[in-house]
Amino acid sequence: MSAAGPAGATGHVAGERHRRLRIAALWIASLIFVGYVTAPLVWLVSSSFQSEREITSKPPHWIPHEPTVQNFAAIFAAPKKDVTYETRRAADPASGGFIPSTAANLLPAMANSLIVAISVVILNLLVAIPAAYALAKIRFRGRDASIYAILTTRVIPDIALVVPFFLFIRNLGLLDTLASLIITYLAVTVPFSVFILTNYFEGLPDELDKAARVDGCSRLQTLLHVYVPLSLPAIVAVILFAFLASWNEFLLALMFTQTPNSQTLPIIVASFTSDFTISFSFINAAGVLAIIPPVLIALLFERYLVSGLTAGAVKG
Amino acid sequence: MASIRFDKVGKRYANGFVAIENLDLEIRDREFLVLLGPSGCGKSTTLNMIAGLEEVTSGKLCFGDQLVNDIPPDRRDVAMVFQSYALYPHKTVYENIAFGLRMRRTPQAEVDARVRSAAQKLAITHLLDRRPSQLSGGQRQRVALGRAMVRRPAVFLMDEPLSNLDAALRISMRAEIKQLHEEMQTTFVYVTHDQAEALTLADRIVVMNDGAIEQIGTPHDIYEKPATIFVASFLGAPPINTLDGEIGGASGRPVFRCGDVALALPPAIAAPTGSKATLGLRAEDVTLDPKAQDDVAIDGVVNSILPIGSDQFIGMKVAGREFFFRLAKDQACAIGDRVRLAALTNRLHVFDAASGRSLAGG
Ligand SMILES: Nc1ncnc2c1ncn2[C@@H]1O[C@H](COP(=O)(O)OP(=O)(O)O)[C@@H](O)[C@H]1O
Ligand SMILES: [Mg+2]
Repeated sequence: MSAAGPAGATGHVAGERHRRLRIAALWIASLIFVGYVTAPLVWLVSSSFQSEREITSKPPHWIPHEPTVQNFAAIFAAPKKDVTYETRRAADPASGGFIPSTAANLLPAMANSLIVAISVVILNLLVAIPAAYALAKIRFRGRDASIYAILTTRVIPDIALVVPFFLFIRNLGLLDTLASLIITYLAVTVPFSVFILTNYFEGLPDELDKAARVDGCSRLQTLLHVYVPLSLPAIVAVILFAFLASWNEFLLALMFTQTPNSQTLPIIVASFTSDFTISFSFINAAGVLAIIPPVLIALLFERYLVSGLTAGAVKG
Repeated sequence: MASIRFDKVGKRYANGFVAIENLDLEIRDREFLVLLGPSGCGKSTTLNMIAGLEEVTSGKLCFGDQLVNDIPPDRRDVAMVFQSYALYPHKTVYENIAFGLRMRRTPQAEVDARVRSAAQKLAITHLLDRRPSQLSGGQRQRVALGRAMVRRPAVFLMDEPLSNLDAALRISMRAEIKQLHEEMQTTFVYVTHDQAEALTLADRIVVMNDGAIEQIGTPHDIYEKPATIFVASFLGAPPINTLDGEIGGASGRPVFRCGDVALALPPAIAAPTGSKATLGLRAEDVTLDPKAQDDVAIDGVVNSILPIGSDQFIGMKVAGREFFFRLAKDQACAIGDRVRLAALTNRLHVFDAASGRSLAGG
């Protein structure tokens, strides 16, 4: 350490103070950052347990003084309630006792979102894992061209694809179906998944591939027995990426979905803000429901996200 | 049980690079064949073609009578040990060794018996539950050997399996590999760029250079009768001393001349007088002899002495080139001494200067 040396005791003390200052600075910086990241989330959760009156109080209550689950109750009761102009007018906006006219669509939309996101994740893996293996480990004619083609699609912004996608989906007769979303989300996510996995596979030694092949594995068995188990961190990254991209997607869903048949969560939640009156507490409760699935998935795969599980093992 | 035949085999990589051209080679059943050559000469490519890991792009590759050009590695009965060991990081040592058997649907009892007997032979039984990351280099090497052994393959391939080990371990592992060959009674093809390894292990050595075979022969032949200047300079430490000159002939006996060096050559040297030639003289093929005859003598001033325990290397300028000679320790000389050495003329190697091929007749 820097403290050791002819300066002796005083130098040592100075070094110690310096070290403590640095640790303190690091702590403060970390706390500020954590606060910055978590504050919106905390407010979302906190306000979802507040009434519409409490939510608008000044200063805001970070911890609800009169916690209530009425927002969540309203969401789950919504399908049974008949929401009309009259029933909404009858409720007192200040109490939060009213709900948006499209509230009943929230739970079906969540189911739609889940179906789309899970399908996109599964299809992403089915397509991207073999594709990445081929690109990373098999030298075939056109390999470089394929990689460039795949990467190029990633620099095209989604907005530029909306019209071609729309014509494509309409001509297939898929407007207002979940399939329209699954197909277009795949087009947007698969290239990136292939990219992540190709990079990861390329980092695994070629000799591992060869060893498996002479040990009696076909290409597919090599992939399943050796590459997939060694790539779990990258595969989990792909799962999270594909899930979140589909779960959050708004623009394409707005174009292709028209009815609750196929509308997804972001579309329905957005529709709450264009109602006669806006209930922030209700929207925030919907927001809390919307973040539960991604959080569950992140927790499920948390141990693979902590990289380094295989990092030491792979390097010879 | 397998002999392997290369019949005009060529390998062109996808990028157009021709790594192997017109390779003709017959590997006999149960022999220990070593592919020896400098890095990049195509040894691994050749080995990978035997394994089926690289496609043969021209010619025929046969195991016995069977053409195997289009047979994938999982359907060839070969096992391979890699330089980097290539152990499966996510499997235990036991599962690493068992993997090849499991892929071939060997019954569990048989798998267990073979894994344990291999582990015992390699003295790694206590490591069976570990993962590769918890092993030393030497231990990983043994696991890689075990993984290949349990398969009891028809052909055992090794690609520089010892080059990641430290020197002492490398030498002891050589003996173990030699013993393994004797026990397994299968064809071994072993790739190395280390000539000492090749000379120790091989029944026959194939010296390769630039995608082609320079010479095939027993270690003795390769060392004593190098077919080309390349082979002569690739084997031996320090490298063979070479000198460019020309063949002269006095009274029916060929003589090699270069500057003030004139050495009588064995009569079998088949080259017309006046042709350009390269002389090869190994460090150990001289003795210190002040009374040597002029036509075997090499004169010079000692400019360096490197004792190597048993012997000593002395360096001196001969016809403008730096030569190294190996002398017994008791043959005293000191830096600055003018010495006369006698070359063992029947051990001189002479090569055609243009083609590099040996001029030794017969
Ligand atoms: N996949 C490849 N594509 C193109 N060239 C290659 C490939 N693999 C090896 N080579 C080239 O082929 C030559 C022989 O390689 P290799 O057989 O690995 O040599 P060695 O094992 O003797 O060191 C080298 O020049 C190398 O650069
Ligand atoms: Mg090699």
